[in-house]
Amino acid sequence: MRLIAFLLAFVLAVPAYAQGIQQTKGNFEDKFRQLDEVLADPNVYRNASGAPGHQYWQQQADYKITADLDEDNRRLTAKATITYKNNSPDTLPWIWMQLDQNIFKKDSMNELTNTFGGPGRRGPAVSAGNGSEPAKLSLAELRRQQRMEDVSHGYDITRVSLTNGRALSHTIVGTLMRIDLTTPLRPGQSVSFNVDWAYNIVEENVVFARSGYEHFPDDAREGGNDIFLFAQWFPRLVAYSDYEGWHNKEFLGRGEFTLEFGNYDVTMNVPNDHIVSSTGVLSNPTSVLTATQRQRLARARNADAPVFIVTPEEALANESSNPNGTKTWRYTAQNVRDFAWATSRKFAWDAQGHKQPGAKNETVMAMSFYPKEGGELWSKYSTAAVVHTMKVYSRFSFDYPYPTAQSVNGPVGGMEYPMITFNGPRTTLNDDGSRTYSLSEKVFLVGVVIHEIGHIYFPMTVNSDERQWTWMDEGINSFLDSVAGYEWDPNMPWTRSLPRDLIPYMTSTNQVPIMTQSDSVLNLGPNAYGKPSAAYHILRDTVIGRERFDFALREYARRWKFKRPTPTDFFRTMEEASGTDLDWFWRGWFYTTDHVDISLDTIHRLRLDTKNPDIDLARRRQTLADEPEKVGVRLNREQGLPIWVLENPGVTDFYDDNDQFVTTPKDTESYEDFLEGLEDWERKVFDRAVAEDKNYYVLNFSNKGGLVMPIILGLTFVDGTTDRMYIPAEIWRRNSRNVSKLLVFEKGKELASVEVDPNWETADADISNNHYPRKIIDSRVEAFKRGPATSRTGRDLMAEVTVVEEEDDDEGSE
Amino acid sequence: MIQRIILMITLILALPMAAPVAAHQQKITLSSVSHNARTGLLEVVHRVPLHDAEHALEAQGVRAPDIVNDLKSRRAVAKYVADRFSLTHNGQPVPLTLLGTEIEGGRLIVYQEAASPGSGAQLSINSQILTDVFERQENRVNLGAGTKVATLVFSSGDRARIARLP
Repeated sequence: MRLIAFLLAFVLAVPAYAQGIQQTKGNFEDKFRQLDEVLADPNVYRNASGAPGHQYWQQQADYKITADLDEDNRRLTAKATITYKNNSPDTLPWIWMQLDQNIFKKDSMNELTNTFGGPGRRGPAVSAGNGSEPAKLSLAELRRQQRMEDVSHGYDITRVSLTNGRALSHTIVGTLMRIDLTTPLRPGQSVSFNVDWAYNIVEENVVFARSGYEHFPDDAREGGNDIFLFAQWFPRLVAYSDYEGWHNKEFLGRGEFTLEFGNYDVTMNVPNDHIVSSTGVLSNPTSVLTATQRQRLARARNADAPVFIVTPEEALANESSNPNGTKTWRYTAQNVRDFAWATSRKFAWDAQGHKQPGAKNETVMAMSFYPKEGGELWSKYSTAAVVHTMKVYSRFSFDYPYPTAQSVNGPVGGMEYPMITFNGPRTTLNDDGSRTYSLSEKVFLVGVVIHEIGHIYFPMTVNSDERQWTWMDEGINSFLDSVAGYEWDPNMPWTRSLPRDLIPYMTSTNQVPIMTQSDSVLNLGPNAYGKPSAAYHILRDTVIGRERFDFALREYARRWKFKRPTPTDFFRTMEEASGTDLDWFWRGWFYTTDHVDISLDTIHRLRLDTKNPDIDLARRRQTLADEPEKVGVRLNREQGLPIWVLENPGVTDFYDDNDQFVTTPKDTESYEDFLEGLEDWERKVFDRAVAEDKNYYVLNFSNKGGLVMPIILGLTFVDGTTDRMYIPAEIWRRNSRNVSKLLVFEKGKELASVEVDPNWETADADISNNHYPRKIIDSRVEAFKRGPATSRTGRDLMAEVTVVEEEDDDEGSE
Repeated sequence: MIQRIILMITLILALPMAAPVAAHQQKITLSSVSHNARTGLLEVVHRVPLHDAEHALEAQGVRAPDIVNDLKSRRAVAKYVADRFSLTHNGQPVPLTLLGTEIEGGRLIVYQEAASPGSGAQLSINSQILTDVFERQENRVNLGAGTKVATLVFSSGDRARIARLP
């Protein structure tokens, strides 16, 4: 076999034998090793393509609840008849329930393990002491401690019995309760039982929770008013699954919930001047709404803009009313995994029908409930954002699956439940009595409503396990809320989660992988929201491509709608539906804390040897001529030193007329021998290559960040033209540290410069090594000082800041 | 060890926001401290979520802060961020100049610089930005630029830490 010699050969790194991902001998790492031993084994319940298996099952829990709100004492008393259907192939001797309110008991695991001044703690500010600083408690923390001392929180469970009255023995373990059945529940059987309970509602702003009441002492009414948000307010069935059995993991506050789907019939008895917003559909409107309110609701169904059911003026008037009895509101909900509600006399209420032709729910009532503190911020944007969310999210998943979608303003910053979300942003009351809000507050409102309503798709319908994996719903939801945000107004300063935004986090050293249990994650925001979102942007726009990514994401949503997916099911579905092996991507982005930094180290230019002495020797002569003059020779000349040959012009021979590159008969003969020795096909290939005389370049890359990623090249040619080249990540499969790539261009097409990832698609952390030839890259600070950046808004320079400092000094403020 | 418990009187106004799970209340800032060999300057860049920063102002008693549209709010945050971030070398505070701010996406970027004590200098660093407002606040400080950084993570009440400037 003949090899045509290039002037420069490159050495291929020979990979070691890779039996494992890492090994002790040598340093080979197989970043493309399939996730075989990492992912769960496929089985009849979850198949190898990531879809529900042919014997997929899940449990069902139906609830019939009656709840009485004691507004004055802020206590809820309720009783439920719960019907639990065992669809599993297992016989269950007991069932487990979640008692989430017990997290607020003084001796809960959450309270006992709260680290003082440590990271990730929920609640008011404290700071741990050290050698030079005393420990500190804020008044808010002291208030919380006093409240925990004064009020007994957590469930008082007063009865657990079969529907025939027979008591069931039960054991409370922190936020969990085991109920022992009198006879084991066999596959296919159901059991109905009663639970009675009561609890003191936490004040959200004091105790810090996902629900509770908020007090408004300044309202006109004597004693003020409250907004009550009820969530995690009833004993809920612990999920029982094919992969984890009972999901009995203590509620520690951050790992949210995973629940069973079921049907709810809930009756709320509240003061008769309250308005109730709830999961489900109001089934007794005639007994709780006025005729006017019902007419307005009917009009809202087909309105193009939100219609008030309770106007802000009516709500304001209502603020000073006093109830003279209770009203019974009844809401029913089908196939939901949880149930939440809110009640207050402060609520204004607007609604607009969102049309989904052909869907199961052709008209979805988008509704918002808010006090005067929400003001215009809410009347303009809340319901509008609810409608916008459904329009965008349904394109990426399925028709909105429920008859209502609600946004309720209360003390909780942002929290999601089926058909209902709690959102915190508000207006600020000015001294002149007007209410205004900042642009950031507006972005927060629109953003949080999109995000929380988005959660009704993920995880309220695609029921991933939040207690184990926050990223599963938050990642997809942050990705989609950024998509929806850009479709709302691309110029709003959204809190972004694009690849380039994650670079400082991804390069930092103190992180945990995305695949970390929710309660143990450090920096939940970038870890479970930002990084997976950036990963999906990269998969969609760079690795897989929009059409196939969207197809795969829709397929995941469709397959797991009203079912319970695991990370394994997600990874497999995205691969299977997009037709892309993504094991390397999941491994790198979800199981490690590596980052992306690909360096373009060198480019070598190669030229084909023609073997023709007339051509090759002339080229070599030119190469020599192009070399710089020897320094010593130049210095001699400048010094005027005599040169022998110049001083003896009469003494010459053959070599004075012919240099070392002259073609000799021997050269010609060996060229002819070479040509004759070629097979016909070899001669053809060779002649063509010589005639074409293409430009060959070898680009040498090194992977400094650890993550293997596609190499995207921006090519600039000497003639001024540019081109983009995409090299799939698989180029790193035999050597994840250094790779070389041969690029071939037509004669005359000479490379001038090359840039890796010119559009900042891959979260490449160090762009200073992306250019060849190297370019001086401004640091952030230098770029800022240099002048107005093109795509950024609102620069504010030093001089102006200094002016403010002086002004402040003059005013003697603080 | 708790030596003494005092009330942080300045925090009376600093009632933390109740935002337990809001995706948009991030409670994280990212700062980078790096030596620029070309300019001989120490460059400090802070990234603070806009909405979090507005709550920092509210905590200081500022009514209706609007960082995007109101320059005064922005400058107040820039000053606040600069005050809560400390950097000393050989026992002396590094005199960081506040260059200014810009808005990028949902974040306020605050720029500072000073004459660099040079690569290899031992810096004492503490980032207490927003720790007086949010208990869950976590501040990351990356030392160095590009791909090789060392990260310090600070939370409320942490003392300064010594690290080598790459």
